Amino acid sequence: MRIADHPILGKQRKREVTITFNGTSYTALEGESIAAALLANNIRTLRYSEIAKSPRALYCGIGHCFECRVTVDGVRSKRACITTVKDGMFISSQGVDSP
Amino acid sequence: MKFDLVVIGAGPAGISAAIKARKNGAHVLIVDENPVAGGKLLGQLYEVPDKGWWIGQRIAEKLVDQATSIGVQFLQETEAWGIFPGWKVVLENSETIDTSYVLIATGAAEKALPIPGWTKPGVIAIGAAQVLTNYHRVKPGKRVAIIGVDPLSLSIAQELQLAGVEVVGIYLPPINPFSQEKADPHYLLTNLAKMSHLAPNQLLKTAGKMLHNPFVKKLAAKWYPANGLKIGNIPLYLRKRVMEIGGETEVDHIRVAPINRNGGTVLDDSIPVEVDCVCLSGGLYPLSELAGSVGCKMVTIKELGGTIPLYSPEMETTQSGLFVAGNITGIEGAKVAMAQGNLAATAISSRLGLLENPSSALEQAISEVEKERKNAILTFMPQVEEGREKVTTMWKTT
Amino acid sequence: MNDMIICRCEDVTLGELISHIENGSQTVKSLKLQTRAGMGICQGRTCRVLVEQVMTYYADESNIISSSVGTNFPIRPIRLAELAQNGKGDP
Ligand SMILES: Cc1cc2nc3c(=O)[nH]c(=O)nc-3n(C[C@H](O)[C@H](O)[C@H](O)COP(=O)(O)OP(=O)(O)OC[C@H]3O[C@@H](n4cnc5c(N)ncnc54)[C@H](O)[C@@H]3O)c2cc1C
Ligand code: FES
Ligand code: FES
Repeated sequence: MRIADHPILGKQRKREVTITFNGTSYTALEGESIAAALLANNIRTLRYSEIAKSPRALYCGIGHCFECRVTVDGVRSKRACITTVKDGMFISSQGVDSP
Repeated sequence: MKFDLVVIGAGPAGISAAIKARKNGAHVLIVDENPVAGGKLLGQLYEVPDKGWWIGQRIAEKLVDQATSIGVQFLQETEAWGIFPGWKVVLENSETIDTSYVLIATGAAEKALPIPGWTKPGVIAIGAAQVLTNYHRVKPGKRVAIIGVDPLSLSIAQELQLAGVEVVGIYLPPINPFSQEKADPHYLLTNLAKMSHLAPNQLLKTAGKMLHNPFVKKLAAKWYPANGLKIGNIPLYLRKRVMEIGGETEVDHIRVAPINRNGGTVLDDSIPVEVDCVCLSGGLYPLSELAGSVGCKMVTIKELGGTIPLYSPEMETTQSGLFVAGNITGIEGAKVAMAQGNLAATAISSRLGLLENPSSALEQAISEVEKERKNAILTFMPQVEEGREKVTTMWKTT
Repeated sequence: MNDMIICRCEDVTLGELISHIENGSQTVKSLKLQTRAGMGICQGRTCRVLVEQVMTYYADESNIISSSVGTNFPIRPIRLAELAQNGKGDP
């Protein structure tokens, strides 16, 4: 899903970091958001809604809607779309039993 | 420590204002909830006729570098929760910052366009597609459908294609209490024509040209081809509605129904179209809740996109010392936002006694806003000028 | 269409909103209090306009008492509750 070579923006050179989502490790690029990193790894579903338990994911992409909220290193409800990945970051979905 | 000016929101309006005020000698802090400063600039990417590419991310970087180099302080990843008289800005961690003046430059948000199935993973707001593609460089999907026809969705469709995403089409939403004029082909045709006179890209230009022809415009709602018109390589379907977004857990198709010559939706002829991502474009509205919470007089002006704090020709709200700039005052492009930021900062600098010749500086700043508005290559609200006039009139009678 | 979610934060469907209007909810405020639509973690940024649209569309217009546009401080009170939950794991 990555746009390796953009016709106008060119190539992108960024350091790789490793993040963990629901117990599995993934490669992410330094500086990108959690949501972008997971999408680049073909992961869309970020959490399950509290009442209907329906799968939810990135929606507004700019921090307004809180649909992308995940638990990051023990802190609940961080917005995955505006939280930058860090090497060794431990992320988990809300609305499911902790893995 | 007390600041001369606290700016809330590090978009083009906020950063431009901070630079201007700092240059004039003010102590300035910008508070912004995002990890990176730049606001909606970060995702913007389009070709400006005769001027080359507008790469929002680079423009943002330049602005931030300039601001930092002259001593503007940035507080990123921090949300402003409230403003109290005096003035005090309360942050999300309950910390309070004292300041003589506040500039609220919180920008715009997207209006939701709910369609059955819109909470499924893979359905995103069009702005999210822009940020993912142009800023993070991750494709929002492999096969993408866009619902909602407006300058922003037409522009982003082109941006997606540029990045190698297959855009299967741009469709109308179903008729429901939420889609309103977005579901009306005739309204869209007439207004797209008004908004694309200096279009930022080929897509908008083609649509604009087609619609400027009065003959086409009149008949288009009726005779617009059922199979859409290809604009660039993207089909623009003004005679097809997406009735439903489907998929077991994540999006895997949309259900598309044709609109017949009389404008009716033919549900019996609906077909599924395979996609893995759907972008909804419901339009933009000013994000003005902070101003409302501190008691600024709020007015709803449809031509500007929604409810805004009433402001003076110098961008001051009805609360003395509280200023606004950018999309919180109405939906326009980034260059107008920058000019408004400049104007507000000039007014604030003048109050602080930092200007030698305040009236001529203000006059110039006001005329620059007007110039940028006239030269705008992307108009979001077809009647923005009328909207601005309404504000002026309302201010005079307050 | 009635099972379409309108308030994404609180999982409130269009059908629920309509039935509360039919059962006498006359203001956006009472609709919100009864269904929690608009009272979720995004504080109505996504659904406030939608809830207002549902009200105008389905209620007898003469019955609607318009509510004030202002948002009360703090803008995101819910976050405090969320923060308090930190470290407690998932509900
Ligand atoms: C999805 C989308 C796409 C757009 N695309 C284009 C385009 O292609 N071309 C164009 O010319 N215009 C576009 N626009 C219009 C855009 O709003 C303007 O170009 C311009 O960015 C407005 O500048 P601003 O400074 O007013 O606000 P913004 O750029 O929106 O910046 C406001 C900043 O304030 C922050 N903020 C908001 N509330 C708070 C708070 N309480 N505390 C702390 N920080 C806060 C926001 O997160 C944001 O970073 C787009 C707008 C949107 C919403
Ligand atoms: S997607 Fe809306 S807040 Fe993250
Ligand atoms: S969508 Fe309703 S409160 Fe967030």
